[in-house]
Amino acid sequence: MRERFVIDVGDFSRFNPGPQAPVWWGILGLVVIEATVIMAFIATYFYLRLMAPAWPPEGVEPPPLLLPSISVVLLLGSSMTMQWGSKCIENEQYNRFVVAMFTSVGLACTVLMLRWQQFQELGVPWDEHVYGSIVWTIMGFHFVHLISAAAGTLVVGILGIKRYFNPQQKIGVVVDTLYWNFVSLVWIPLYLVVYWVPRWL
Amino acid sequence: MTFRCRNVLVLAAALVAESSIASPPNQTALVPASDQAAGIASLWMAMLVGGCLIFVAVMLILALGLWRARRQEHRLSHLASRNLVIAAGVAVPLAVLIALVAGSLFLGNNISSRPPDGALHIEVIGWRWWWEIRYRDSQGELIATTANEIHVPVDRPVRLSLTSEDVIHSFWVPNLHGKTDLVPGQTNSSWFTARRAGTFHGQCAEFCGTQHALMGFRVIAQSAAEFETWLAQQAQPARRADSPMLRRGREAFVSAGCASCHVIRGVTPPALANAVKTDSKNPLSADVRSLSKARTAARDKPVPAPDLTHFGSRLTLAAGTRPNTAGHIGGWISDPQGIKPGVLMPPTMLEPGELTALIGYLQSLR
Amino acid sequence: MSQVTANMPESASSAPSEQATAELNRTWASPAGFFGWFTHVNHRKIGFRFIMTSLVFFVLAGVLALLMRLQLITPENSLMGPELFNQLFTMHGTTMMFFFAVPIMEGLGIYLVPLMIGTRDMCFPRLNAFGYYVYLIAGIVLYLSLFLGMAPAAGWFAYVPLANDMFSPGKGMDIWTTMITFIELSALTAAVELIVTIFKQRAPGMSLDRMPLFVWAILVMSFMIVFAMPTVMVGSILLMLDRTLMTQFFVVASGGEPLLWQHLFWFFGHPEVYIIFVPALGVLSAIITTFTHKRLFGYTAMVLSLVAIGFVSFGLWVHHMFTTGLPHLGLSFFTGASAMIAIPSGVQIFCWIASLWGARIRFATPMLFVLGFFAVFVIGGLTGVMVASIPFDMQVHDTYFVVAHFHYVLIGGAVLPLFGGIYYWYPKATGRLMSERLGRWSFALIFIGLNATFFPMHQLGLEGMPRRVYTYLETMGWGNLNLFISLSAFVLALGFGLTFLNMWMSRSRGTPAGPNPWDADSLEWATDSPPANYNFRHIPVVRSGTPLWDDAIANERQFVSGLRNDRREVLVTTLVDAEPQAVVILPQPTIWPVLLAVAVSIGFIGTIFSPWGFWLGFFLSFWMIVGWLWPRRPWQEN
Repeated sequence: MRERFVIDVGDFSRFNPGPQAPVWWGILGLVVIEATVIMAFIATYFYLRLMAPAWPPEGVEPPPLLLPSISVVLLLGSSMTMQWGSKCIENEQYNRFVVAMFTSVGLACTVLMLRWQQFQELGVPWDEHVYGSIVWTIMGFHFVHLISAAAGTLVVGILGIKRYFNPQQKIGVVVDTLYWNFVSLVWIPLYLVVYWVPRWL
Repeated sequence: MTFRCRNVLVLAAALVAESSIASPPNQTALVPASDQAAGIASLWMAMLVGGCLIFVAVMLILALGLWRARRQEHRLSHLASRNLVIAAGVAVPLAVLIALVAGSLFLGNNISSRPPDGALHIEVIGWRWWWEIRYRDSQGELIATTANEIHVPVDRPVRLSLTSEDVIHSFWVPNLHGKTDLVPGQTNSSWFTARRAGTFHGQCAEFCGTQHALMGFRVIAQSAAEFETWLAQQAQPARRADSPMLRRGREAFVSAGCASCHVIRGVTPPALANAVKTDSKNPLSADVRSLSKARTAARDKPVPAPDLTHFGSRLTLAAGTRPNTAGHIGGWISDPQGIKPGVLMPPTMLEPGELTALIGYLQSLR
Repeated sequence: MSQVTANMPESASSAPSEQATAELNRTWASPAGFFGWFTHVNHRKIGFRFIMTSLVFFVLAGVLALLMRLQLITPENSLMGPELFNQLFTMHGTTMMFFFAVPIMEGLGIYLVPLMIGTRDMCFPRLNAFGYYVYLIAGIVLYLSLFLGMAPAAGWFAYVPLANDMFSPGKGMDIWTTMITFIELSALTAAVELIVTIFKQRAPGMSLDRMPLFVWAILVMSFMIVFAMPTVMVGSILLMLDRTLMTQFFVVASGGEPLLWQHLFWFFGHPEVYIIFVPALGVLSAIITTFTHKRLFGYTAMVLSLVAIGFVSFGLWVHHMFTTGLPHLGLSFFTGASAMIAIPSGVQIFCWIASLWGARIRFATPMLFVLGFFAVFVIGGLTGVMVASIPFDMQVHDTYFVVAHFHYVLIGGAVLPLFGGIYYWYPKATGRLMSERLGRWSFALIFIGLNATFFPMHQLGLEGMPRRVYTYLETMGWGNLNLFISLSAFVLALGFGLTFLNMWMSRSRGTPAGPNPWDADSLEWATDSPPANYNFRHIPVVRSGTPLWDDAIANERQFVSGLRNDRREVLVTTLVDAEPQAVVILPQPTIWPVLLAVAVSIGFIGTIFSPWGFWLGFFLSFWMIVGWLWPRRPWQEN
């Protein structure tokens, strides 16, 4: 049988900073899975609410709005600083990149501290009524994700200090930003469910 | 292939034939004794015949296809293949399924519709691992409480309210109706009209823990007159202990600790079981709440057990597991774990004389 | 796309230098030795482990089933008490669904997909290894709990409140909830990896419409895993929280909802059945294509059916809840949906029949299993349509009728094709064919055994025997059928045993197979048996849906050049048309996946005993992930 080469890939770049890299798709898969998990939590919330005679239960006020609303702003801001970081890498502004990463981590830490206060302000413990259970679980779930995203970005920042990234070699920044945007944006539906649904519906 | 499917069919026929002789027809969906079970049994027969026809048809088509190539290739043309797939894979199944779904929904609607007025109302409460049965009158007042044995009049609709006080159970009397789950925190309903007298067996059908297997009960369908007599008798307080022997048995019942879980109306103070229950018209939600609160603490408390006010009138004991005879009562009192391992009733050690008196007393509670 | 046909650096027809081949083989080699074993990341190594481990679990769960059948052989048998029996059926169901059926299908995908799509490894080899260790640890912990007598005993779908701490005290259910979450993690990693590999690493020219149906089936399965598994993870996390942190999700008194668990569980649980069944459809298509030596009729219809089954299976979950007291009108929708899934299944079956029609078929063992599938699966499918009817389901739900139904569907629909697949691909993995003689005996015993075991169960269910009973009274009259069933179960077990014996013996004694013993069409048969470390000496270029047959007709094979031999390079292609797009470098063998799996296990198992276990596992895992992903020097290499 005749055998011949018809395609040569020897001169392809081995740096793949975008959707041609499988890892980009892998992180997208992670995001889809996490989003499904969050959908299941939200469905659980609405199911429990549907079956409850009163929601929140009698004697429980809907949680105060101030801190979570500030969190929305801070998280959106952190998405922007992440985006800015990616731009900096493309323009080879490595110091600015490090600043961007650490700003994002700082914003996330602020949100985490606010979140700690929000837990106190929920006005209902997790182990008395199913309302408290689901609210604590949803908020706690997002809390843990924020910690992971912040910790991951901290590592990206440290690699930035070591000058690991450059315009070719930046897939780590790209996927970290992708995940970060998911974690920060998913707060908006969770915020609406936990803080506005008891008021609106 | 044909050989094999013939085997299956022969086996099927043999099994159907064999079973109709072998099993007593008192816990089977195939010998219906109510309108509801009869409807489902007819649906099953229709589906069985249809299913057999479809199975044979598919196997024949497959066999024919394989047979074609015995000597040389006889592939189907693209068009013929397409027609086969569209006809046999889409059109025929679609028609069959639409018929089946329509028929099934029609029957299901009938079964799940509201029972006619004047239905007898019976509450069934599932416990691990026995059934509490309460009869209510048309005003919703409690008439009688019993356990593991339901009497119903023939030809009168019976409406069941079903709930559970612990885990999910499922109420199933195959001769009378399909099953309905008993879910804690909600009250499900079901109804049937028995069309012939008889004793039918029922059993819990949703896995509910250690003794799920032996959580049985009896449904006794009888004439309206017999039923009314029975119910009037069940509504009475317990028969008085009017001999020294019976009095001794009654004392043993209290002193041995039976009364901390079991109730004999008119004899024992309300036990824990009934302390949390009220006889209000809608008692269920309150019960469930008070029971489930402080769940860890509740784990070690004694749990409610069957009302024994008219124990002597029942056919079985230990939730349909043993016939209600003196020997079995004695065995059950002294070693319930030997008969139903894991059951919540503790063994009770009594002097032989005391045990005899207790058995005699329990049997006297007719 | 750089097409340079005229002045290629080396011509493929001139034998590639042995030195280069040896270098490539070294590059892709997996380290030897006991410690080396823990560093393997190659997809064939990992896929093989998945398959073998899940077969071990299959045998374990089968032994549990035989023990149960021994207990039920006579009424009121005293062989074992209810505590043990309840543990046995819980473990049997949990093992078969979570530790056998899903992992073996993933394993088959992990082993075969890269070979079938013409690449050298999966896209995330280390994640692959991680998924395997997670699976292995979860299985070992679960079985340790059985041997310590503290296994879960609330059934494989663990209905609350029974499964909650008040009614199932002890650690058994905690182990169940954590290990279920754990095994889902493994399934999700495999699913993402299979999807990305299938999307991005197909050989040039293998556009989506040229992809083997097996790969399509694995793709659909993976997507179903991605959308189904998270809900059961959420369910088991909620149950875990209820049991350990005293949340109130399933505590009725505090507004908890027992039916919430059922919704969450069956939203996963029903697709789960199809997650097992869909890859089996792929196996059937592969075997039928090869043994009729023709491309299947209705490729597009088959693909659409697979996708339709995937979608519709998410709309059926409530048909497990027909007796829970939901309103009849709402339930009706699920009757309709459950019946409708018969249509895509019917299309598949008749596409295969049309392909088999009048073809000169070689009735080798894989083909026997395929024919067995038709008989058994059609019966299971028919009873499946029956139980979709609400009134009928009210009678047979939770009885032996349903036990019969799902064993027909799962054994007929998944295990028979799977065993056909074992006979079919065994020569590729080992280089030797399995014994046909033993194979025929095995098939005959399995076929007779499974019908004799499960067919009478239909009757038992209609006669009122509920499932999950550790005993039954003699007066029920179920004794004769149960005796017959128990004896038949041993015939079935013997049939499976013969195949395992066959696998063992053929390892060294089987007829040498050569690259393509069945004259099959797909790319996995284009390489050596067993394939060399690098899978393909050169990445093939695909020009049709049956590349090997068409290459033979054209008398020409085309390849890609330019991948380096001294490091693990694979080709990335575009999603739809599979045009070359990039080259990525895959990682070397590494110990990090084991370390991460251990760290995650510490977290999960620690959580059973204290909430702090979660944080310990969380931060340990974080350090492992950093270690895993930390770039190795030199940083710049092209």
